[in-house]
Amino acid sequence: MKLKQLLLSSLIFVSASVWADPTYRLFVTNEKSDSVSVIDSRTGELETTIDIGKRPRGIGLSPDQKTLYVAISEENAIAMVDVATLEILGKLQPGDDPETFSVHPDGNLYVSNEDDAKVSVIDPKTNEILHEIRVGIEPEPVAASPNGEVVLVASESTNMVHIIDTETHKVVANILVGARPRGLVFNSTGSLAYVSSEIANEVAIIDIEKREVIKTVSIDIDKSKPMAMVLSPDEKTLYLTTGRASKVAVFDAKTLELLSTIDVGKRVWGAVLSRDGSTLYTANGVSHTVSVVDTASNKSTMEIEVGKFPWGLALDD
Amino acid sequence: MTTIQSGLLALLCFLVLPVQAEVIEVELHYVGPTEGSAWLGVQQGLDEANLQGEFLGQKYSLKPVSADELVTLKSVTALLVAADAEQILAVAQSKQFASTPVFNLTSDSDALRSACLPNLLNIGASQKMKQDAEVQMVAKNPDSKAHAQSWHQDFKKFAARQLNSRFLKTQGVIMDDDAWAGWTAVKMLSGGVARTQSTDASVMLDFLKNVAAFDVQKGGAPLFVTQDN
Repeated sequence: MKLKQLLLSSLIFVSASVWADPTYRLFVTNEKSDSVSVIDSRTGELETTIDIGKRPRGIGLSPDQKTLYVAISEENAIAMVDVATLEILGKLQPGDDPETFSVHPDGNLYVSNEDDAKVSVIDPKTNEILHEIRVGIEPEPVAASPNGEVVLVASESTNMVHIIDTETHKVVANILVGARPRGLVFNSTGSLAYVSSEIANEVAIIDIEKREVIKTVSIDIDKSKPMAMVLSPDEKTLYLTTGRASKVAVFDAKTLELLSTIDVGKRVWGAVLSRDGSTLYTANGVSHTVSVVDTASNKSTMEIEVGKFPWGLALDD
Repeated sequence: MTTIQSGLLALLCFLVLPVQAEVIEVELHYVGPTEGSAWLGVQQGLDEANLQGEFLGQKYSLKPVSADELVTLKSVTALLVAADAEQILAVAQSKQFASTPVFNLTSDSDALRSACLPNLLNIGASQKMKQDAEVQMVAKNPDSKAHAQSWHQDFKKFAARQLNSRFLKTQGVIMDDDAWAGWTAVKMLSGGVARTQSTDASVMLDFLKNVAAFDVQKGGAPLFVTQDN
């Protein structure tokens, strides 16, 4: 018993030293206000707005959730914000036009340089670009696998998903997908990834080991332009934002059968799910709001006003 | 070499060869001036098709040909034509190219649209389409002196911002209607080759006419940008 207690207390000690207590803050990039809205996700109250820099889009948290990263593409930089104090800590220089990125489990950022058809790997501790990897035209969505073995990047204009081996930093496979891929999300083991295609109006599942698309479905929703996706913690449900259709599409994650749709604000782009999967938040570009969705009932329960053209979301929970 | 060695070598070849996909060589034919907007648009399209091809195993080249040389061509995947309506119609109507995609890059002639030729692909907006857009604009804003175009350098949505920016960077001039048409035609063709893995003209024509969605950076549906003078 004593040994168990000792083990438990050391575990708690380890986790406390690595992870800060969550602030439950929801961060929203406002592309045309050059700001980040900070919302208390427990109340839905807007806590403050941070002037962040020009054209903020991509947003994400460090693995320890202490630092928020925000891509400010027109300043060719990624701003770092202290999640607890909300102080701007500095700016990373990850090359030209960093539209979005993914934070690797090792803490490095994989950044898509949209105008230069490449991915840059930057170490946020040193602000050093460690690798540059050539990819197709207009790379945008990036996703690091949960085990960190591979990173996916989709080139929007050349309709490919590139698989990058994170050990060699080489592109090991190029998978042709539907026109204008916009969203990427992994399952928890990293064996599968979902890709959404805006112009083709479809979602596909990629088998990472086979390096091929194993399933594709067309989205049967009026005006749908597929964008961001999130997977429920039990991995049974896939949520997809549909742009100007102003709905979230809810799919069976295995069969890609459309189960239901949720009305949210206009021109819905970014999405994030609470850790427990109970609440989905969406950034509604034209409404200038964030919708709060109860995933048990698949209904929007609140719409929170934010800055102009909200694009991406990150939640510290 | 021992039998075992040659056996191993053969096995290695068997294991290695199937994963090294063969590079498909694609020659596109172009009729028109080798300068100016349409030409630059085609060049931009070619650069981008070759970048895509580096990853997917295709290599594109462009062969300018005169209208008189067309009869001598044996194998053609597609024809890109930057000429007047009469010349484009003559090429598209010739028996030789009845199953070959013929892209009209430059003419806004309504006659080319109403000819309903199954192999003629008109990229830009027609006169009638542009007039309709202008009428709609004037109905909304009676003082408007807007004129409709297929493309505009200030167009930003659907990643047009990025396309305008890289065209200007590479070609040194703004992207206009004809440049966009040239780029679009090559993009559609490279998309077709990547997906069908074929350079056969009739396969390409079928793909171009029946494919569900092309991304020509206009968000899907045709859209006409206006400019106040």
